[in-house]
Amino acid sequence: MSFTPLLQRLLAALSCLPGVGQKTAQRMALHLLEKDRDGGRTLVEALDEALNGIGLCERCRMFAENSVCPICATERRDKSILCVVETPADVIAIEDSASYSGVYFVLLGRLSPLDGIGPEELGVEILEHRLSGGEIRELILATSATVEGEATAAFIAGLAHSHNVPATRIAHGVPVGGELEYVDSGTLSRAIGARTSFEG
Amino acid sequence: MTMPSHVDMQPAFILHARAWRESSQILEVFCRDHGRIGVVARGARRARSRWAGHLRAFLPLSMSWSGRGGLCTLRSAEPTARSLEVTGMRLMAGFYLNELIMKFLERGDAHPELFAWYVQTLEQLAQDHDTEAVLRRFEVTLLREVGYGLNLTHDAVDHQPLDPEQTYQFVIEQGAVPVGAGQSGQLVFSGADILAIGSGVYSDQRKLHSAKRLLRVVLDHYLGGRPLKTRQVLASMRRCV
Ligand SMILES: [Zn+2]
Repeated sequence: MSFTPLLQRLLAALSCLPGVGQKTAQRMALHLLEKDRDGGRTLVEALDEALNGIGLCERCRMFAENSVCPICATERRDKSILCVVETPADVIAIEDSASYSGVYFVLLGRLSPLDGIGPEELGVEILEHRLSGGEIRELILATSATVEGEATAAFIAGLAHSHNVPATRIAHGVPVGGELEYVDSGTLSRAIGARTSFEG
Repeated sequence: MTMPSHVDMQPAFILHARAWRESSQILEVFCRDHGRIGVVARGARRARSRWAGHLRAFLPLSMSWSGRGGLCTLRSAEPTARSLEVTGMRLMAGFYLNELIMKFLERGDAHPELFAWYVQTLEQLAQDHDTEAVLRRFEVTLLREVGYGLNLTHDAVDHQPLDPEQTYQFVIEQGAVPVGAGQSGQLVFSGADILAIGSGVYSDQRKLHSAKRLLRVVLDHYLGGRPLKTRQVLASMRRCV
């Protein structure tokens, strides 16, 4: 191969990104070197500043540029409702739905006992601190519908209970606009099990 | 038994899944006729995967795969019944069972009787059984199935049936050795407690506690220093609540 050492190193570095294999890394690297060196420099700066400037919110573990993230900092959010999610991407998804005005707690993972991932890894100490503060009236469990997500929800519900905070779990079921026949059997049986009364 | 290169419609459970490459998963599977195997499920992590939520632990599956030795390739996985509904904190007991199987079974060794016992154990976990008793019965069966069976009926010295009133010291790899009544120590038990562990019928909490004490030491002995991660996670969960 005719890759110089620096180019090889760049390709290897680009391959750390999700969805980027050898071919894509090569296309990206050649593009920057051939056609857009300014773009490359902007990328380096932005990446460097982001990595140095973005940490975790000390209240909710969402990405933050100060000690507290914008959602926790604003007066406009209802601080008495706390929604527990697994990842920052989950926060973004719920925010995009514009259906929620409370605050969050991001676990940055879920209980995965066979991988040795337990409460410490999920920042449970910070969560307990918030639950014991007396400010929270409802905790919403929005962990994934996997077995690990369910174990996580059960564990956090137990924590909430021990602090006398009522816990609710988001509903799982048929997607809006979805045809029933295309819904997988697991989701369907869950949806039937958790049916609600119909106010016609 | 060597595994054929195509296996069809095999009763199976997923013990554990881990991400592999861009969009796939490597599944640790426990199946009836071939024991523990490793299977690649291609595309399992895509949003619209053809496995559609079926690749869950504790869900009875009928699986087909190709290839042998090392990793096989999953061809189909269909639920054969509703999930066994192990829910809430009982999931932790389920994860523990799965870790025991992964640690004690060699890949490719068939254990059809243990498989049947695993199904029964999950059913009991899904119902209102005492989780601790269910786990202890599984541990005793697992040890027997992999060749480390404990003698929980006769004394190891003169091979007489255990006397419920007698005190015994349990010696690993040997069995129950009679000792004086005043004796104490980690592996000192009444005959009645050892008999209870053997029969799996626990009439009181003390017997259950004895079972936990004995089996923990025996399991650790055969694990040879490898830690059980589910046990560690459970301990730190207990510290929180
Ligand atoms: Zn925050």
